[in-house]
Amino acid sequence: MMSNTTMLFLLLLTPLAFSLLTFACRLLGNAARACVTLLHFIGIMLLLVVSLWVVMQVYQQGDILAAGRWLHLDSLSALFLAILGIIGCLTGLYSIGYMRHEVDEGEISVATLCHYYGFFHLFLFTMLLVITSNNLILMWAAIEATTLSSAFLVGLYGQSSSLEAAWKYIIICTVGVAFGLFGTILVYANAASFMPDPNDAIFWTEVLKHATQLDPMLMHLAFVFILIGFGTKTGLFPMHAWLPDAHSEAPSPTSALLSAVLLNCALLIIIRYYIIISTTLGHDFTGTLLMVFGFLSVAVAAFFILVQRDIKRLLAYSSVENMGLIAVAIGIGGPLGILAALLHTLNHSLAKTLLFCGSGNVLLKYGTRDITVAKGMLKCMPFSAVLLAGGALALGGMPPFNIFLSEFMTVTAGLAAGHITLTIVLLLLLTVVLAGLVRMVASVLFGAKPEEVNKGELGILTTLPMLILLVLMLVMGTHIPQPVSRLLENAVHIVMNNKPGTHAQPLSWPWAVQNHSSAAEPQAGEVK
Amino acid sequence: MTGSLIVNNLAGLMMVTSLLVIGAKRPVASCWLYALQSLLLVLIFLTLGQTLGAHQLSLWAISAFITKVVLVPVIMAYAFRKMDDPSANGSLIGPVMLMLAAAVIVLLCWFVVEPVQVPLLASLKPALAVSLGHFMLGLLCIVTQRNILKQVFGYCLMENGSHLTLALLANRAPELVEIGIATDAIFAVIVMAVLARKIYRTLNTLNVEQLTALKG
Repeated sequence: MMSNTTMLFLLLLTPLAFSLLTFACRLLGNAARACVTLLHFIGIMLLLVVSLWVVMQVYQQGDILAAGRWLHLDSLSALFLAILGIIGCLTGLYSIGYMRHEVDEGEISVATLCHYYGFFHLFLFTMLLVITSNNLILMWAAIEATTLSSAFLVGLYGQSSSLEAAWKYIIICTVGVAFGLFGTILVYANAASFMPDPNDAIFWTEVLKHATQLDPMLMHLAFVFILIGFGTKTGLFPMHAWLPDAHSEAPSPTSALLSAVLLNCALLIIIRYYIIISTTLGHDFTGTLLMVFGFLSVAVAAFFILVQRDIKRLLAYSSVENMGLIAVAIGIGGPLGILAALLHTLNHSLAKTLLFCGSGNVLLKYGTRDITVAKGMLKCMPFSAVLLAGGALALGGMPPFNIFLSEFMTVTAGLAAGHITLTIVLLLLLTVVLAGLVRMVASVLFGAKPEEVNKGELGILTTLPMLILLVLMLVMGTHIPQPVSRLLENAVHIVMNNKPGTHAQPLSWPWAVQNHSSAAEPQAGEVK
Repeated sequence: MTGSLIVNNLAGLMMVTSLLVIGAKRPVASCWLYALQSLLLVLIFLTLGQTLGAHQLSLWAISAFITKVVLVPVIMAYAFRKMDDPSANGSLIGPVMLMLAAAVIVLLCWFVVEPVQVPLLASLKPALAVSLGHFMLGLLCIVTQRNILKQVFGYCLMENGSHLTLALLANRAPELVEIGIATDAIFAVIVMAVLARKIYRTLNTLNVEQLTALKG
């Protein structure tokens, strides 16, 4: 049996090693293109296998603490790790088809291709570090590192608009995340002042054990800093200014990775501090702040979605909207609200990856992101068109897909918690979002296709990932596999900070999960 | 007690160098002023290490000397040496306003820090206020300066401010953490410098007001 430390090191070192290897491919001359693509393929497949294997270990044996408590995985981070593994692999697969087209067209050189794959794996490594870190300050440093490793991916095309987007991205995010550092220091310094061993105050798991003793006044201040700091990276209004630019200018697979994994990583850090600070202060202050920021994000993004002509900017605003929705659900709180938030995190990642891949196909085919120019997709690539339409309707909250389930649960949680007005306005805003998405799909799918655009799909590598995602979304909307629902339930207990062994009330799923008494299941950590 | 006095005065000097970094006409001059400021930071680390008996701080001082006094200024001076854009040499606020703003910031930070109960020697409170003010001054630099190279310096000032806060409040943190943060800072500067050069070559400008292709 491999030790936990070895297992987590293997998880972290896989993308790091492939990053270095793919960077080095640049030196191979004529063989570079084939070699880098092959290495990249092996890298993403290994990443998928290793991350799902680690998730299974967490599922079976509960919390994992390793490397002198510097690394930590519980059901909550396992959920985010699973998202990273699956989305990382699918966007990696899509990248191969997408980048083949870009190199053939002369949009990027082979050297840039090697850089792309190198930064792709480096970016995955930094996000893995965020997810697995138990060290509060390392968590912050890892978030900062995600910005640095992805800035080149955003500016990859080297055009004036993409460089501008990369510049805004790096400046706004480093400044924003610096606020997060102040929040981090406040929590750490406060914990270090009273904990029996001050050296333990740097570990999230240890601070949580003493969370009730933290100074309430400082924790109010710390949470504001944390929410502004990491909220910038999560894309919450009004710190979201970098997001539409970066998501629209990056190559489509990178946009998917930014939207579906990076935003979640920053969200995970916010949730980590939410757990600690809610234990100190109770849910009122943290919940209200999350609800306000989340609601504003949904409201502002909804109207941008409605009027947007650039398909990728539209999707970027949809990310702001969905992150807002998740924040609202956490803010509503209670087991149902948290469950809705975590389920929505997973669902949004699947849906948004599908749509960014679809928008990538539109971009490759038409050479534009303007939905008033790219028309008649149903005639020139019907398969991609149907997948894109299915994904967009699903993202808008159409049953029987997964987003409908999590949005339904959010609304139920809102009503149950007595936020009647908020829930009604939220429903109206979600209708606006649906209208915006339908408008986009109608515009792209129908109409006369431009003369110069040829018929034909772009190849299996750019359509297969979309198909897989649509199937996953259908499954997640109708029959959630038991390991997934169990993982989500365990994650809810972690966010609620229920002590292991206490019998929390069983979680109720409206449908899609066969009822089983989750309270009777052993809690994470107890099995070991 | 003398230790705290030295730390507070050095922290005050850091504010002065910050103003010089922001106010300097040529980016290369800002580089060396930044190196000077980092040297002050290193001295603060050493003095603090003695005053608080925190041995990690001596190690911090060594790594900060290598990264902030030597590496970062050299990297920036090398990257920025050939970039020049007279149209970008301007600020939304003049030097007098800048100094006034700095004074207001420090005063405000003092009022914020004063009532807060933090695990710190009371005599070091002024240094804490300065560290927070330094951070805000960096932010002010990013917001008001039109030259994108100045925005990089703004980031460096913020970084020094938060590093001082770390040294005051989190000086028992393991050395590895400090190395992680220092590495981040170096790579941030490298990435920003490379991006700035690409922007300069592609758009022929360093003026942030010319970067307005993306809207809505």
